[in-house]
Amino acid sequence: MSIGVEDKAHDVMESAVSFKIYVKKACETCTLLQPLIARLVETEQATVFVQDDPAFFSPLAIDDSTLEQSFHDDIEVTPTLLKFVGSKEAERVFGWDRAEWRRITGLADLGEDLRAFQPGCGSKSREPGVYEHLVARFGDSGLESRKIVITGFEDPLEAAFERGWTDGLPIVPPTDERILRMLGGTRRDKHEVVGRVPPNLSPVTIEKIAINAVMAGCKPEYMPVVIAAVEAALEPVFTMHGLLCTTCFSGPIIVVNGPIAKRIGMNWGMNALGQGNRANATIGRALQLIIRNVGGGIPGDLDRSTLGGPGKYTFCFAEDETDPSWEPLSVARGLERGENAVTLFQGDGIQGVVDQRSATPEQMAKSLAMSLLAVGHPKLAEFTNAMLVLSPEHYAIFRNAGWDRARITAELHAEMVRPGEELVFGAQGVGEGIAADRAGEMVNKFWPEGLLIVRAGGQAGLYSAICGGWTGGRFRHESQPVTRRIAL
Amino acid sequence: MSTTTVLRDPTAEAAPVRRARRTPPWSLDDITVALMDIGKMRGDEFIDRLEQLFAERGVATKRWKKPTNTRTAPVEMLQEIAEEADVVVVALSDCGSCTSCSTHDLNDLDARGVPGVSVLTEEFRSAFAGQCETIGFDGASIFVPHPVQNRTTDQLYAMAENVIEDVICAITRRK
Repeated sequence: MSIGVEDKAHDVMESAVSFKIYVKKACETCTLLQPLIARLVETEQATVFVQDDPAFFSPLAIDDSTLEQSFHDDIEVTPTLLKFVGSKEAERVFGWDRAEWRRITGLADLGEDLRAFQPGCGSKSREPGVYEHLVARFGDSGLESRKIVITGFEDPLEAAFERGWTDGLPIVPPTDERILRMLGGTRRDKHEVVGRVPPNLSPVTIEKIAINAVMAGCKPEYMPVVIAAVEAALEPVFTMHGLLCTTCFSGPIIVVNGPIAKRIGMNWGMNALGQGNRANATIGRALQLIIRNVGGGIPGDLDRSTLGGPGKYTFCFAEDETDPSWEPLSVARGLERGENAVTLFQGDGIQGVVDQRSATPEQMAKSLAMSLLAVGHPKLAEFTNAMLVLSPEHYAIFRNAGWDRARITAELHAEMVRPGEELVFGAQGVGEGIAADRAGEMVNKFWPEGLLIVRAGGQAGLYSAICGGWTGGRFRHESQPVTRRIAL
Repeated sequence: MSTTTVLRDPTAEAAPVRRARRTPPWSLDDITVALMDIGKMRGDEFIDRLEQLFAERGVATKRWKKPTNTRTAPVEMLQEIAEEADVVVVALSDCGSCTSCSTHDLNDLDARGVPGVSVLTEEFRSAFAGQCETIGFDGASIFVPHPVQNRTTDQLYAMAENVIEDVICAITRRK
């Protein structure tokens, strides 16, 4: 087979040597190399791309202020010198390294008057947030979720409302660059299916979690916590399906344990159960948006809650682990101290406990027990679980007397044992209550494992809080809180 | 300035991209039909006849008229319709701006709990579809011949008579 003229010409093209140099004016090394680079442009077929000021190197340079070329050539440092043989990159050198530049260009006298080495600067295409923007604009995002094109002058926030994607509050529009940035917060593959979200039992991928986390307002570093919360919610024993569809008030309450709480800036102090902290607010909201958007849990459709509760927007906080005398919730539930974990509890909004007079642990236990007895209904027993959020000042009364978590829990349970005859249907003139055949028993308010105690709150205030549990908790072995490690 | 934004769908993508309109009632018994005149000339004659045809069928109607077809309806009017009516007939769009604005009105009323149908001329079939696409709404429509501005009143009445049964199907679950 003979080689034609065109093929020979093609071979010549393929062996031609050329150079590309990426610079920015704000880079001191690039400025230093200006005469040298000008020489390369004039003599060696080098092309210069300027990332910031198009006037720098004008008229020799190509304006790359969009960073498209920098992105395609995957530039990390300015200056970068790339050598091409034909259309293929042969090698590259970062910053100023005289020996390397001489070797690559084949110009033995290059940079005679310069020092041997000077590092460059970071490429503009690698500045925080920029890279994901460039992937979204010029690259392949790899995202598989359906594109929703918002045209004209429509407001993306309004478009999200129109499409039923929100909980009633505005969301952050889930654009590709934001989703890619969010995915940077996890090492998990974006196409991995984490589970099926009720009530529609629709598969949820890491990508869908990231989209909803963007909408909720999360930072990428919250992703491991959000993913763990989703995984916990989807464990069968958490009964997310029933919790979502229930006529009751409840939703998932997320308690975060371990060093990650401090690392991502969560609040366990003043107003821990309230508004104002981005991580607390958005992690809980992300879970709820996933249930709504992926699972199809829409209030009025399959979410049949009679009254709902404000916690169904978001309810997430961290436990205060700063007092070494206190055993954190995750440890009480079987994990090691220092492990990052989420605990999901099926709970309602809070009922405050005001006690500014009890001074001994015995008084305090009786006092908290009186309030806990009201959970669900004062005459119900073994019907719901409960979460007690113990404030620092209330806890101090126990700690100063040497009571630890186990002792407090045991004493509270002991204070909540009542004669069945007072609780049966119709007793005390109230229809609600427990079955008549239990009249002769002494009855516990909660299952032994059904009282979760968490320590949180500001340093001042002799108040604690109770989150009543969902009525699904009456099925002791079928519906339970779930604790899960957070994988970083 | 680019006015196109691409978002990614946060849902399970089980539903079409367009939001389905609210399910209309089974029948028009004990229902008040809002007749929303978009404010375009000659539309009132078409609606006059629709009003009579509903009355003949024992259906309660109430009329509203937009101050101009070139803008979306005032919020107060939309609130009033949501408060006083159950379903809506939006008529009669025979131009670009009125098609765009009336489609927004149809969508807005649907979101307020008032499902409905828009009556437009054939010429604006694609404009209606395009506007629905942009706002992600699967709106209901009925088309009458174009043009309407040079018709006689009798011809406009006849148009209303021709579509009344289709209109009733569109604002109920009747097939």
